[in-house]
Amino acid sequence: MQMGFFFDQTLCVNCRACVVACKDWHNVPAGPASYIRISTVEKGRYPDVSVHSMFGSCYHCAEPACVAACPVGAITKRAEDGIVVVDRETCLGKGKCDLCRQVCPYDAPQFGAEPNARMQKCQFCLDRLAENKQPICVGACIMQALDAGPIEQLKAKYGDIIQAEGFSYSEKAVPSIVFNPKKDAKGRVVSRIVVSPQKSQ
Amino acid sequence: MNDSNDTEQIVTTVCHDHCTSACVLKLHVKGGVITRVETDDGEYPQYRCCVRGRAFRQYVHHPDRLKYPLKRTGPRGEGKFERISWDEALETIASQLKRIKDSYGASSIILLPSGGDMGWLNNGGLIDRVLVRLGGYTGVLGTVSNEGTWFSCMATYGVPNVRASSSHDSLLDSRLIIMWGWNPVVTRMYMHTHRHLAQIKKAGIRVISVDPRYTETAALLANQWIPIKPGTDAAMMAAMAHVMITENLHDQSFLNKHTVGFDKYRDYVLGIEDGTPKTPAWAQAITGVPAATIVNLAREYATTKPAALVDGFAPARSAFGEQFNRAAATLAAMTGNIGIPGGSTCISPGVFPVSLGAFPASTMKGGDNPVHLAAPLRKNSVFYQRVSLGLQGVTGARFYVGGPTTAHLNRVQVADAILRGRSGGYPADYKMLYMVTINWLNQYANTNRIAEALKKLEFVVAQEQFMTPTAKFADIVLPTNTIAERNDVTIGFGFPLYGSMNKAIDSIGESKSQFEIAQGLAAKLGFSDFVEKTEEEWMREIIGKCPDIPDYETFKKEGFRKVKPSKSYVAFEEQIKDPSKNRFSTPSGKIEIFSQDIADMNNSKLPPIPKYVESWESLNDPLAKRYPLQLITTHYFRRTHSKFDNIPWLKELEPQAVTMHTSDASARGIKDGDMVRVFNDRGQMIIPAFVTERIMPGVVEIPEGAKFDPDENGVDRGGCPNVLTRDEPSPGGAFAGNTALVQVEKA
Repeated sequence: MQMGFFFDQTLCVNCRACVVACKDWHNVPAGPASYIRISTVEKGRYPDVSVHSMFGSCYHCAEPACVAACPVGAITKRAEDGIVVVDRETCLGKGKCDLCRQVCPYDAPQFGAEPNARMQKCQFCLDRLAENKQPICVGACIMQALDAGPIEQLKAKYGDIIQAEGFSYSEKAVPSIVFNPKKDAKGRVVSRIVVSPQKSQ
Repeated sequence: MNDSNDTEQIVTTVCHDHCTSACVLKLHVKGGVITRVETDDGEYPQYRCCVRGRAFRQYVHHPDRLKYPLKRTGPRGEGKFERISWDEALETIASQLKRIKDSYGASSIILLPSGGDMGWLNNGGLIDRVLVRLGGYTGVLGTVSNEGTWFSCMATYGVPNVRASSSHDSLLDSRLIIMWGWNPVVTRMYMHTHRHLAQIKKAGIRVISVDPRYTETAALLANQWIPIKPGTDAAMMAAMAHVMITENLHDQSFLNKHTVGFDKYRDYVLGIEDGTPKTPAWAQAITGVPAATIVNLAREYATTKPAALVDGFAPARSAFGEQFNRAAATLAAMTGNIGIPGGSTCISPGVFPVSLGAFPASTMKGGDNPVHLAAPLRKNSVFYQRVSLGLQGVTGARFYVGGPTTAHLNRVQVADAILRGRSGGYPADYKMLYMVTINWLNQYANTNRIAEALKKLEFVVAQEQFMTPTAKFADIVLPTNTIAERNDVTIGFGFPLYGSMNKAIDSIGESKSQFEIAQGLAAKLGFSDFVEKTEEEWMREIIGKCPDIPDYETFKKEGFRKVKPSKSYVAFEEQIKDPSKNRFSTPSGKIEIFSQDIADMNNSKLPPIPKYVESWESLNDPLAKRYPLQLITTHYFRRTHSKFDNIPWLKELEPQAVTMHTSDASARGIKDGDMVRVFNDRGQMIIPAFVTERIMPGVVEIPEGAKFDPDENGVDRGGCPNVLTRDEPSPGGAFAGNTALVQVEKA
């Protein structure tokens, strides 16, 4: 079984309630680490424009590059539900190793501002999962644009579309997310992309 | 409730803030500290909280919360204070109140309350009760939020906008929605708003957005975006009327049956009155909207039924902005879209019939304000007299009992009144200001002028949760607690939800509730019988006989009670269905396209039919040579006005910036993220530029609520747009926050 997300891009209004709900639940301070980021893709030229938001998180890939890259085996993929978890005690820390962040196509591994920060990221709210609850972001979405659960169930419910504006599907990693994409029939040119919270350089 | 032990408890409560909404918070509390926030996860529809509610614990436990009463020790505005006791603070305020009243009269004391901290019990009305007993005070009149819309609805429909709006779910019956200066994704207003927006999206209802910005709501819903120059909306609407009249698309039988004055509006539109037909070509030159677009929109609106022209508050927050909502109401009448499901009147929160007891502040002893009673009524007070009738027991209508008088100050003119007093034509010289959770300096027009006014006063009091830019000017600052630290009740601004705002933790530091502060001040002034009831007795009385609440204990434990109205509320349904039995509350009993009340005000800039009146600081103003950009000041998702601006989780989401179009930026050598200087004769700021295709060229946007933070040269580094706005109210009373010319240059 593989857990994953569904994101209805047609409904996301970029309110970022999911971002802050996640930070609150996992007690992640303001700073470089954020398990969720929303990127906003602006397309077209005035006045013919369109805007597409994308939910960015760890997508608990079927073939996670981070697991393969970690030199100390701190990142593992759970057999029972495919959730990719990190053992922060084992992680070497930002000062010594940066491999997971470099190989992840989705910028999922996060490091705080503290010295030699250990990697942290979305772990599908394991504590909530144990109580049969969905990840905190799902219930935080004021547009009800998010869902989470076994990816096969999500595909059955919402379809198996794996492409959307602002997302690049990695054949190699096989991310566990499906979309209701917001289409741009006119094929407008991307004018800018805004990521929030901003990534530190 | 607030046991200081290690077991975690969850306190369910309702966040009601100045957004007007009321949403469910489930606060995890451990050892007297809020550790996590959840929201409604119960039966649908769920009242899920917004991003600010998600950051609620960083607000309550913010290290900068005011913990002790403070006395100013440095110059006003510098921010130097020392800790004093509650006893000393209240004693100082009481003795200054008495001194100033005895020396200058009660009218020299201004009470300025606002919505920084609101509940059924805890609100600015409590200090009103204290000051009235002392002999009265000068009150303020109007709302800075939507005075133009309020005025327009009173004139046109005979009720204020909070009684003139259908519930948002009635939009689901629309075949066409025209959002005109309305961005509900951000302004929300209503805990159902986002659910209804999602339903509109899923239903595939056609949506057109008329707005200088490609807003978040346009991005969600709009099939078409029509950018328009700020301040010109009534011109485009007149041209739409021109199309309807000349093509005979208007609903003449609806107009005959339900309105007065259409013939006069027709004469204006066709140019019979002034020789200028309000053609689409005429409007194109003013609005920047192509004539063909205006023609198509007019035809589509007139021939699609039902259709909702949703006129927001923002375009009326401008010079002569009242014309905008009046013109929108006229178009809605011309298309027969009033009083029917899927039609529109205006947009506003607040349609749910309340069955709670009155605001305690409305029933407490003391009578009416002697300063107001002694003054003649204002000429246009007829509008507010009807307000008092319509809203008794719902809001702090006590502030206007009997209608506003010549003693009342327009909220936008308080600084001018303080600076000029009697010599400037005001009825008093003002010496003292008592502010209750209002960040006046930041949130009202012309920040630098307000700073001048604050420096001129003899004594200033601020009840606040944080050291706001305004509180820095106070002589005494009283630390006010938050909704997490006391008990109260709310229905938002009138929603089908009863919220028990439950105490979750003890008050931070020595902060107190507004109720406790008013009690303490009353005691110092010798009003020993001010305490009529305890907090809990008031709670029980407010809930009283409410049929929707089984009993007080269950209500408190559950934290909220949802009420399901049997159907959507359609404003004026009865008046349209059976006009002989149900009159509008206007003098004529009909929808007043022509208003005799307005005609009697005899102001050439306030015509009795809706007209396009060119605003001050329009692009034709000679000032536009120096300041060629039109500034608009908008609501912002990560703040409720100026509240939450200092919350780390919210602040990191986006920097405060001035949004400008790519072409305006490149003409000035500005790149995205560059620091830029935004300025006019009233003030200047240096903030980053956000460069985008999502805004009309020639228009710049700065979201309101960022903290005024002047450097040593007086240049605001916080990005408070009111350093640039003008403190002259529109003739209908509106704060013209969206009428200001500015220039932007690379800093």
